[in-house]
Amino acid sequence: MGASAGLQVRLRQSVPFALDVAFEAPAGSITALFGPSGSGKTTVLRAIAGLHRMNDARVSCGAELWTDTATRTYQPPHRRPVGFVFQDYGLFPHLTVREQLALALGHRPADERPARIDALLQLASLQGLSDRHPAALSGGQQQRAALVRALARDPAVLLLDEPFAAVDWALRESLRRELVALQRSLSLTLVLVTHDFEDVAKLASHLVVLDRGTVVAAGSVEELTSRNAVPGISGWHEPAVALDARVLAHEADRQLSLIAAGGLRLEVPTVPAPVGAPVRVQLAARDVILASHRPEGLSLHNMLEARVIAVEPAAHAALRLVHLEVGGTRVLSLVTADAARKLSLAAGKPVLALIKAVAVEAFA
Amino acid sequence: MNRRRELLKRALFAGALLVAAWFVGPVAAGATDRPAADSNGPRVAAASDLQFALDEVLAQFRRDTGVAARVTYGSSGNFARQIEQGAPFELFLSADESFVFMVADRGLSRDRGELYAIGRIVLFVPHGSPLTPDPQLEDLARRLQSGEAGRLAIANPEHAPYGRAAEQALRALGLWQAAQPRLLYGENVAQAAQFASSGNADGGIVAYSLALAPALRERGTFALLPEVLHAPLRQRMVLLKGASPDARRLYDYLRSPASRAILARYGFVLPED
Amino acid sequence: MDWTALGLSLRLGVVTVALLLPIAFVLARWLAFRRVRGRGFVEALVALPLILPPTVVGFYLLMAFGRGSPVGAAFESVLGHPLVFSFEGLVLASLLVNLPFAVQPMQNALAAIPASVRDAARCCGLSPAAAIRRIELPLALPGIATAAVLTFAHTLGEFGVVLMVGGSIPGETRTVAIAIYDRVQAFDEPAAATMALVLLILAVAALGITNTLARRASRQD
Repeated sequence: MGASAGLQVRLRQSVPFALDVAFEAPAGSITALFGPSGSGKTTVLRAIAGLHRMNDARVSCGAELWTDTATRTYQPPHRRPVGFVFQDYGLFPHLTVREQLALALGHRPADERPARIDALLQLASLQGLSDRHPAALSGGQQQRAALVRALARDPAVLLLDEPFAAVDWALRESLRRELVALQRSLSLTLVLVTHDFEDVAKLASHLVVLDRGTVVAAGSVEELTSRNAVPGISGWHEPAVALDARVLAHEADRQLSLIAAGGLRLEVPTVPAPVGAPVRVQLAARDVILASHRPEGLSLHNMLEARVIAVEPAAHAALRLVHLEVGGTRVLSLVTADAARKLSLAAGKPVLALIKAVAVEAFA
Repeated sequence: MNRRRELLKRALFAGALLVAAWFVGPVAAGATDRPAADSNGPRVAAASDLQFALDEVLAQFRRDTGVAARVTYGSSGNFARQIEQGAPFELFLSADESFVFMVADRGLSRDRGELYAIGRIVLFVPHGSPLTPDPQLEDLARRLQSGEAGRLAIANPEHAPYGRAAEQALRALGLWQAAQPRLLYGENVAQAAQFASSGNADGGIVAYSLALAPALRERGTFALLPEVLHAPLRQRMVLLKGASPDARRLYDYLRSPASRAILARYGFVLPED
Repeated sequence: MDWTALGLSLRLGVVTVALLLPIAFVLARWLAFRRVRGRGFVEALVALPLILPPTVVGFYLLMAFGRGSPVGAAFESVLGHPLVFSFEGLVLASLLVNLPFAVQPMQNALAAIPASVRDAARCCGLSPAAAIRRIELPLALPGIATAAVLTFAHTLGEFGVVLMVGGSIPGETRTVAIAIYDRVQAFDEPAAATMALVLLILAVAALGITNTLARRASRQD
């Protein structure tokens, strides 16, 4: 069982289409490859797995060099400790779930396999379905089967290509939770290709943004979102920050939870996670109201002291995007230009950030 | 698991079928009276006019010597070409000398062979045909004139000696021009006879030996055409290079009185010794 | 009923299938999975025997492998007899003429395998050879079976090429199809009718099997 290691990727090609990508996926993190269709995300993922070869490439995982065209090093896919979950799952139509797992466990001694298969089935909640063929499974069951088959490889890196694209919204949320829980418990390094920013906001800690074959932004999700520095989404996705937070306390009688992201403390409707558990917080800029003084008689729970860092033009001419710092954590607020003038918003000005508890999206 | 087992069963079944198929020939042939074409029997290429006559000779030959020859019937010209291309025949019975000489000239035969029979042609007319056979083809001429004539089958003059003779006869009687649009060409004279007797043609000009055979005799009537109407059908046979001893025996047998008697019954004129 | 001819036809069918299937599989794989520029051209070549009259194929084969040709001469020196007018010559002709019947069903079956399934095979630790054996072959099996049945049936029925390249030598190149032709010319209609019926039954059986396989394949998806 390979301990998870970080991934270093550098890829360059001109045919069949241009690609010039370099990034790192830190060990034990979920790194999202984000971008519009045709940006080359899937190709990058396939190149990491060794399924796609190009003239100029270097892929290493921890200390192991998987691909290096400079030294003509190339590990074929079946020799890399990589698990791959395909967009359409890639389950073998003619094998039962059990047989698929057995096949993927080829690298383990035969006597170890049955126990391992049972463990994996339990992990994916597929115990009663192990003798079914993929056609007899529901979409969610197929996805879990594909996931657990990838895990059977004892991978150092788990690669997922738009894993939730084929699944309906309700199922998506629960599958996301399962994936995060899995990744945390196994400390896996995950690379996730997606064009859905929800996946980025809820799952990923690191982000690599691709557009037409090049990296246009890379860094931690929190940092990139809080600086509204994620290109490609500002046009059609509202500015929002995605923060890593923790549950500080639960107030059962008020049915509220207190969570903290750095120095930012928020009261939110009860979060179904124990105290100390990590929580992903999404806060849309449009849900942050600014005030010059403390209002009274409002239904608001969160009135936080903040300081303006910068005021930027927003996508709409009549709006302004205000960068704030609350307890050392960066937050965004979207207001009209008129309001910005009225409040004399400028760098350094102290304000109050008013955030509805309901508006805070907490993903645990 | 079930599906795989089922597929395996089917694959084994198919495999067993294939193995069985391999042995059908020899086994089935052994079970019936007709022997499998002996893989060692001499290979004979014979002009189609010998279709029935030679079958009888070979049956007799087999009874006398135990050797089962393997004969292929076809047009003499076709055989000459195939022999040139390396067809593994051992004995070639042509309906025409020129093809034997052609083969000999190419060095593919032992010698220049020998004359074994002289053939004749007939106008064969199936029962129910509006055509009446006569030696000078007068009824045919009349029908061609009036435009009533149906199809007339002959062998292909390009490579079948009997076809060439048929053309010569028609020309000699001044009927070639009129007959041409009505002609049906058989690949060899046996096929021409087949066309002629099938009812799709008024009749045909085919080999005398075929018309005398029981198969044709019961299907129609014929008229023997005078020899003067065409160049003689000098039928020549020759042993080819690499002919086996059994082929040589057959060659000799074909000159024997027994064999000549059979040929005579089929209307062949025998060359004087 | 010419049992020898029937045995010869069946033998020719078996040998053709046994030799052609592996060759066609390799070719079908290449056509199904690789996006090379020459692919369309190769596909057209493979399909050629479907539209060419068998006599054309026979003609070119005689030119290419006859006694005068280098290949023919080489073959003759090895085997002691010419390639043409021999069973081996028929096998060669049969391999070429049946190429589309063998390649196309397999190519379609292989191409129907989703790319992700093949990629997944590699990412599940299967070497390329193991992936072919455990994933591609089982999934393409209906197509392979169809190829086998079609090739066998078509070989039984082949006439033009066999006649031109093989002559009609009893026990060696006189297949059932040729034997029927031969018996008709000998005015032996009963024998011809019997053999024709046998071929008809085999053809119907072959079509029945391929239809069943095709239905099975579509159900599997």
